Amino acid sequence: MATLTAVQILAYALASALFLGHLLTTRPGATRIARGVLLIAFTLQLVDIGIRCVGGENPVSSTREAVGFVGFLIAGGFLLAGLRYRLSAAGAFAVPASLTLLVLARVVPAEPGAPRMGALGMTHVFLATLGVAVFAFAAVLAVLYLREETRLKKKRFNRMAADETPLATLDGLGLRCVSVGFPVFTLALVTGAVWIARLGGLAASEARRPEYLMAVAAWLAFGGLLLARVGAGWRGHRAAWLTLGGFAGLFTVLLLYVLRSLS
Amino acid sequence: MPGGIDFAVLGLSHKTAPLDVRERLASAPDQIGEILRGFAGLEPVREVALLSTCNRVEVYLAAPDPDAAIAALRRHLADRAGVDELDLANHLYARVDVDAVHHLFRVASSLDSLVIGEPQILGQVKQAHDDAVTHRTAGGVLAACFSGAFRIARRVRRETEIARNPVSISSVSIEFARKIFDGFQGRTVLLVGAGKMGDLAARSLHAHGAEVVVTNRTLSRAQEVAARIGGHTHPFEDLHSALVKADIVIASTGARRPVLTRALIEAAQKKRRGRLLFLIDIAVPRDVEPEAAQLPNVFVADIDDLQRLADEHRDGRRTHADRAEAMVEQEVARFLEAYRGRRVGPTIVALRDRVLETARAEAERAVASLPGLGDREQRAMFELADAIAKKLLHRPQVALKKGGGDPVEGASLVTAAQRLFELDVPEEGGPSAPAEATDKDGQAAPAEDGRPAGQAVGR
Repeated sequence: MATLTAVQILAYALASALFLGHLLTTRPGATRIARGVLLIAFTLQLVDIGIRCVGGENPVSSTREAVGFVGFLIAGGFLLAGLRYRLSAAGAFAVPASLTLLVLARVVPAEPGAPRMGALGMTHVFLATLGVAVFAFAAVLAVLYLREETRLKKKRFNRMAADETPLATLDGLGLRCVSVGFPVFTLALVTGAVWIARLGGLAASEARRPEYLMAVAAWLAFGGLLLARVGAGWRGHRAAWLTLGGFAGLFTVLLLYVLRSLS
Repeated sequence: MPGGIDFAVLGLSHKTAPLDVRERLASAPDQIGEILRGFAGLEPVREVALLSTCNRVEVYLAAPDPDAAIAALRRHLADRAGVDELDLANHLYARVDVDAVHHLFRVASSLDSLVIGEPQILGQVKQAHDDAVTHRTAGGVLAACFSGAFRIARRVRRETEIARNPVSISSVSIEFARKIFDGFQGRTVLLVGAGKMGDLAARSLHAHGAEVVVTNRTLSRAQEVAARIGGHTHPFEDLHSALVKADIVIASTGARRPVLTRALIEAAQKKRRGRLLFLIDIAVPRDVEPEAAQLPNVFVADIDDLQRLADEHRDGRRTHADRAEAMVEQEVARFLEAYRGRRVGPTIVALRDRVLETARAEAERAVASLPGLGDREQRAMFELADAIAKKLLHRPQVALKKGGGDPVEGASLVTAAQRLFELDVPEEGGPSAPAEATDKDGQAAPAEDGRPAGQAVGR
C-alpha cells in the first residue's frame, strides 16, 4: 500500500514537472509525454481507490479520502478536457493541484475514532468533493485566461502559443464549469446542513466555525458570479477574478478541514 | 461524379514515400518524352503530364474512366520502377475529379511542399505542362486544370508571400484574433473606413465565415467595398450601434483624430454586456484612442504592434498557409463553375454557322434582286460574302479558342458570344477544344496515336 502511494506521488510529481517544464520552455512533444505520465498516475490512483473501496474506505468516507479524491477528479477532468481542447498550459496548474491534494490526503493520519457517516454524510462529502473539483478546474481556466489576457494586452505572444486555447473558449468553459459546479455545491451545502441537523444540530459556538462561514461565502461568490454573468453580462476579466476569489474561499475551507483533522 | 471532370492524379511525395522509393520513380529530363508516350499509350488515358521533383513524382491525367486509368498507370509505374505493385501502392495516392483539381491547386500553390511557400514548385508545375504540350500528350482538360493551378498559385504568392508587408499585417491580425476568438463563424467584423489593408483582412475573415459590415464617411465607397467583400453597409453616423454588434473591428480611415474614442467604446461595451472586442487599428494616424486598450475585455492592436509581430513571424510561413488554403478552396469552386459553363467548341461551330449562313443568305438576296448577273459575277458575289464573313469570324474564333482555356474568363467569353449572336448551344460535360494544344492556324494538334487531341476529351 505504501509503495503504491509512493509511486502515485512520484508519477504525479513527474507529470507536474513535465507540464511546468512545458510552460517554461514550450518544447513541442513535451506535452504528449506529460500527458502519458499523468495518465499513468491517474490509473494508479484509480487502482488505489479501488483497493481502498474493497477495504471499506471509499473516497467519500472521510475528509482525507475526499481530499485525495478532489485531486483525482481534477486530474481526470483535465485529461478528459484535453481530448477536445488544447489546454496543455492548464496542466501546469491542474496537475500540481492534484499532487498537493494527494500528498495532503496521505499525510493526514487516518481517523480511527471517526464516527460512521451514513448515507447522508457520504452524499454530502461526495457532492462537496465534486463541486470543489469542478470549481478548481474553473479556477485553473481563470488563471489561464488572465495569463493569456495579460499577454495579449501587452501584445506579447510567444510563437509556440499558436496552439493555445483562445480566450473566448477559456471563458466559455469557465462559465460551464461554474454553472455545473454551482448546483452541485448548493446540494452539498443543503445535504451538509440536513446532516448536521440530523446529528442534533450545532452548538452556537460551532455554528461560527470559520469553514462553514467560508463555504457559504464561496457559495455566495459563485452564485453572484453566475448571476452577474447572466444578468449583468460579466465576462472575461472580471468573471475570471471572481472565480479565483470564490475558489480561494473554497480552498481555505478545504485547508481548515485538513488542519482540523490533523489537530 | 461530383465535379464531372475526367481528371485524376496518381503520385507519391515526401509525405508518403521515403527518398529511396521516390528515387526509383524519378526521371531525367531527357527521358520525359519517352515516359509520357508510355503513359499516353495506356488505355483509357487521353491526356497526361508528369511532375517530377526531388520531393514528388505525380502523374496528372485525363481519362473518360479515371479509376481504370489510375489502375493501369499504377501497374505501369511499378513495372518501370521494377518494384512490386503492392509495395508501391502503399506509397501512392490517387485523387480523381474535383479532389484531383484541389490537389493540383495546393501543389502549385506550394501548400503541399516540404517548405510551405517555397517558390520553385510553380515553375516545376509549369514545366510539367509544357513538357506535355511539347510531347503532345496534353489537351483541353489538362490545359484548363493547369491554367487554373497557375492562377491560384500566382494569387497565393501575390496575396500571401510576395507582397509580404500589407498581407502579413492582415494575416497577423487574424492570428491575433484567433487567440481571442474560437473561430470566426458567426462573428461580426466591422470595417471602419475603406483602406486596402483593411479590405484584405476583412476579406480573409469573411472567407472564414465571419459576417462583414462596412461603414465609411462616403457611403458609395462603403457600398463598393461591401459589394467586393460580400458584406453590407452601415451608416457612419451610427458607429455606436455598429460597435455593439461587432466582435472584431478593423479601422483604416484617413481621419486626423481617433474615430473610435475610449468613451464610444466604453458605452458600446456596456450594451455588448462585456463581450470580447478586438480592435485592429491599421490607420496612420491612429483611429482607436490608445486609452481604449485599458478597458476590460477590449483588445487593441495598432499598425506598429502588427508590424512587429509580422517581423517576428518572418520565417513562420505556416501562418500564411491557412489563408492560402481558403483561397485554394475558393478557386476550386470558381474553377468548377467555370468548367461546367465552358462550351467553347460547339460555340465556335455555332458562331461560324450563324455568320456564314447570314452572309450567304444576304448574297442570295442580292443576286436575286439583280437579274442581269452572269455566273461569274454571281460566284464572285458569294465568294465576297464568304470572305467578309470569314475575315470577321477570324478574331472572335481565335479569342474564343485562346480565352476558352482560361477556367474563369473562358466561361464569360463563351456566354458573351452566345448572347451576342443568339447562339443555341447544347450543354456538354467538358471542354471540346484543346486550348493550349492548338497550332497557330487553329487546327487541333494530332495526338501521338493520330487521333485529334481535342476529340478524346470530356466524354
